[in-house]
Amino acid sequence: MSALTFTLKSQPKFTLDVSPITPDNLQNLTLDKIKKIKLIYGKEKVKVEELFAVKGNDKNEIIINKSCTQLICVGKKMTQGSIAVKGDVGDFLGQSMKNGIITIHGNAGSWAGNGMSGGRINIEGNVGNYTGAGFPGDTFGMKNGLINITGNAGDRIGDRMRRGIIIIQGKAGDYCGSRIHAGTIIVLGKVGKHTGVGMRRGSIILAKKPTYISATFQSCGNLKMQFLRLLFTQLSNISDDLIFFRKYGPIAHRFAGDIARNGKGEILILKTLTKR
Amino acid sequence: MYIKLTNGVVYDPVHGINGEYRDIYIRDGNITRKPSSNVKIDKVYDMKGKIIMAGAIDLHTHIGGGKVNIARMMLPEDHKADLVSKTELTRSGCGHAAPSTLTAGYRYAEMGYTACFEPAMLPANSRQAHMEMADTPMVDKGAYAMIGSDDFFLRMLASKKDQAAISDYVGWIINATQALGIKVVNPGGISAFKFNQRKLDLDEENKYYGVSPRDILVALARAVTELGIPHPLHVHGCNLGVPGNVETTLETIRAAEGMRMHITHIQFHSYGTEGDKKFSSGAAEIAEAVNKNPNISIDVGQVLFGQTVTASGDSMRQYAGHWHAHPKKWVVMDIECDAGCGVVPFKYRDKNFVNALQWAIGLELFLLVDDPWRIFLTTDHPNGAPFTSYPHLIRLLMDRSFRNDMLSSINKEAAAASTLSSIDREYSLYDIAIMTRAAPARSLGLKNRGHLGSGAVADITVYTEKKDKEKMFSKPDYVFKDGELIVRNGKIVKVVQGATHTLRPEFDMGIEKSLKRYFDKYQTMSLGNFKIDDDEIVEHGNGKIIVQPCM
Repeated sequence: MSALTFTLKSQPKFTLDVSPITPDNLQNLTLDKIKKIKLIYGKEKVKVEELFAVKGNDKNEIIINKSCTQLICVGKKMTQGSIAVKGDVGDFLGQSMKNGIITIHGNAGSWAGNGMSGGRINIEGNVGNYTGAGFPGDTFGMKNGLINITGNAGDRIGDRMRRGIIIIQGKAGDYCGSRIHAGTIIVLGKVGKHTGVGMRRGSIILAKKPTYISATFQSCGNLKMQFLRLLFTQLSNISDDLIFFRKYGPIAHRFAGDIARNGKGEILILKTLTKR
Repeated sequence: MYIKLTNGVVYDPVHGINGEYRDIYIRDGNITRKPSSNVKIDKVYDMKGKIIMAGAIDLHTHIGGGKVNIARMMLPEDHKADLVSKTELTRSGCGHAAPSTLTAGYRYAEMGYTACFEPAMLPANSRQAHMEMADTPMVDKGAYAMIGSDDFFLRMLASKKDQAAISDYVGWIINATQALGIKVVNPGGISAFKFNQRKLDLDEENKYYGVSPRDILVALARAVTELGIPHPLHVHGCNLGVPGNVETTLETIRAAEGMRMHITHIQFHSYGTEGDKKFSSGAAEIAEAVNKNPNISIDVGQVLFGQTVTASGDSMRQYAGHWHAHPKKWVVMDIECDAGCGVVPFKYRDKNFVNALQWAIGLELFLLVDDPWRIFLTTDHPNGAPFTSYPHLIRLLMDRSFRNDMLSSINKEAAAASTLSSIDREYSLYDIAIMTRAAPARSLGLKNRGHLGSGAVADITVYTEKKDKEKMFSKPDYVFKDGELIVRNGKIVKVVQGATHTLRPEFDMGIEKSLKRYFDKYQTMSLGNFKIDDDEIVEHGNGKIIVQPCM
C-alpha cells in the first residue's frame, strides 16, 4: 500500500477549499471517484483531477505535494489517519478536527487548529494569528489535542482555548494565551506583550523571561513544581521530535492571574535549564 | 390587466365564505368584482381543487430591531449550521433561530405569509428597526413602539400628569417612530430592574418612580383608545415565565377594565404552582377569562422543541432566565436608559418536564379559547420557536391523532399533568384562515388585507389540500403579493419589496415643548434626529409607506 498522494499541478489562482480531502471522506471511494470529488475553488466548484495529480491507494495516509497558501481547510473535521503536506498551507488548518495527525512541512496561515477537539498538528514552520483560537462568538477555542509549532507564531495564540496543549518552539506574538479558559501553552522563544491577559485557568509556560508582564499577574516566587516534571516527561515520550523537553527542569517563577478575571491561571517562567 | 384565479376553493372568513368554489379577479394589484363579459382576461390560473386564502399575517414576530441583531452576532453557530446559498433571484443568507433579514423575508413568503409585524421597536432604536425591516423583502412590515419603561413616560405618571398629556406623548411617539401600535413590555419592570428590583408584580411599585405596572397599563390602554389606534395595547405582562403567574395574568385582564387589550405570548404567562414540581398549567383559567372578556385578544407564543434564541426587551425576566442559556452565553443590556434588552439562547427539550408542559400549555390555550377571531397563531419568533415551524404547529392544531402521538413522546409526567389528551377539538381550515389572516388584519386595522373581497389588496396564498397539513402549509403552490406571482411551488419566482404600515393619530403638538426640554437635557440625540422621516424608510427603493386610518 502506498500513500494516497495529491500533487498540485499548478499554483491555484484563488483560495481552494480542500476540506473534502480527509481520510474519513475518502475511506470508501475508489481512485476514480476521488478524482471526481468537487472542491470549492474561488467561487466555483472544480473536480480534484483538474487541479491535482492523484495516485496511491492508502486512504489513511494522505500526502499533499507542492502545496501553497491558497489551500485552506486542510484536514477539516478529520477523525482518523494522517495528512502530510509538503509546502505551505493557508488558513483554517485542522479546523474542528477530532483525531488523527496532520504534519505540515512548511508554514501555516491563521486559525490553525480552530475549534479542534483532539488529534495532533505538527507544523515545521511558522503559523499566523489565532492558532487554536475560537471564532468570534464561539464560547471556546481549541477543546483538546496538541499543536506543535517548530517556528514562530503570530498573535492571540490559543484565544479562549478550553483544553489541550500548544507548543511553540520559536517566538510568539502579542496576546499569547489571551482569555484562555484552561489548557497549556508552552513557548520556548520570546513572547510579545499582554501574555495571558484575561486568562481564567490554565498554564502558560515560558522558557524565556518576557520583557513585559501584565499588572494583573501576581508574582508567587520560584517554585519547584512536580507537575512540570510530569508534563515534560510525558511530552518527551509522545514523539522523537519532542524529546528535548527532558532538559527542562521543574523550577519555575510563577505568576498567578489574570486577577482581573479570577486569578486561577498561571504564567510559569522556567528558571533553569538543568540537564538530567 | 386582469388576472383570474378560477375553480379554487375559497376560504374568506371576513365574508363568511367557508370552502366555496369562487373565481377571483385581480386588477392592478387589487381584487375586484367580476368584470363584464367583454373585458379581456389577460391571465388565467386554473386552481382546480386548490385552497385559496388571503396572504397570511404574522402580528408578532421579532424580525428587526436591536435585539435580533445582537442574537445574530452572538450566535455564529446558528448561522454556520444553516447556510442558504444565493440563487439567480435571491441573495444568500443564513440562520435558523435568528435568520438574516433577507432570508427571513424569503422564508416568510415561501410559507405564504405576506405581512409580518415587529412587536418591540424601541423608540430610540426605531431607525435601526426600520432599516432592518426595509432589508426584509417580500413581506409587508410594521412595528409597534415599545414604551412603558421609558423615563419621560414614567416621570409623567409619577408627577400625575393628566391623561390628555399622556395620550399626546403616545401619539407623538407613534408619529415620530412610524409605528403601527403601542407595545408595553413588563410595564415599569425594565426600569425597576435598574433600581435593583428583581421582580415586579402588577401592584408593586417601582422603587424610584413610585408607579405600579397597573397604572402604566391603564394609562397606556386609555391613550390607545383615545387616540383611536386600531390595534389594542399590545401587552407583554409582568412575571413572564414565573410559576404562578396565571394569577397576575388574570389580574391584568381585570385591570383592562373593559378597554381593549392584546395580551401577547400568553403561554409564557399561564403557569400555575400545583403538583409535586410546583409547576402546572393555568391554561384553563386563562382560556375561561379570555372567553368571558370580549375586549381581550391573545396570541399564544407556542413553544416547539429544538434550539432557538429568546430575544426580548424584558431584561428583568431575561436576566432571571440566563442560568438556562444553551449554549452558555447571554446578553442583558440597557438601551438609552429607556428600556432594556435581553438575548438568551435556549433549547426546548421534549424530555424536560417544564419545556414539555410549556408545549402542552400552549396547545391547551389554542384549543380551549373558543373564538378564533381573538387568538392568533404565533410562536413569538424566535422566543418559542422559529417562524419556520408554523406549518408544524398548524398540523398539531388540525390533526388530533398527530397531536396525541406527539404528546405520548414527550416527558411522561408533563403529559400526565396536561389535559391535552382529553381535548377533542380540531381546527378547521376556516379557523386557520381566521387566526392567521382575517383576525390579525382586523386586529391591526388593516382594512384591505386578510380577506379576498372586492377592494382588498391581492395578497393571496394558494395551497393544495393534503392530509399532512404540515406539508400543505409549508409549501404553497402560488403566492401573490399585490397581484404579482412571487412564489410558485414553495420557491420564489419574483422578489418584491413590501410596504411599511404606519399610523398618523392626531395629537396636540404642544407636547413637543416639554419633550424638547427633556431631550436637550437628557437624551443622546436631539428631538429632530429622533423622528423618522418618510424618506428615510422609502429611500434606496425600499418599499413604500401605507398610512392606515385611525378609528
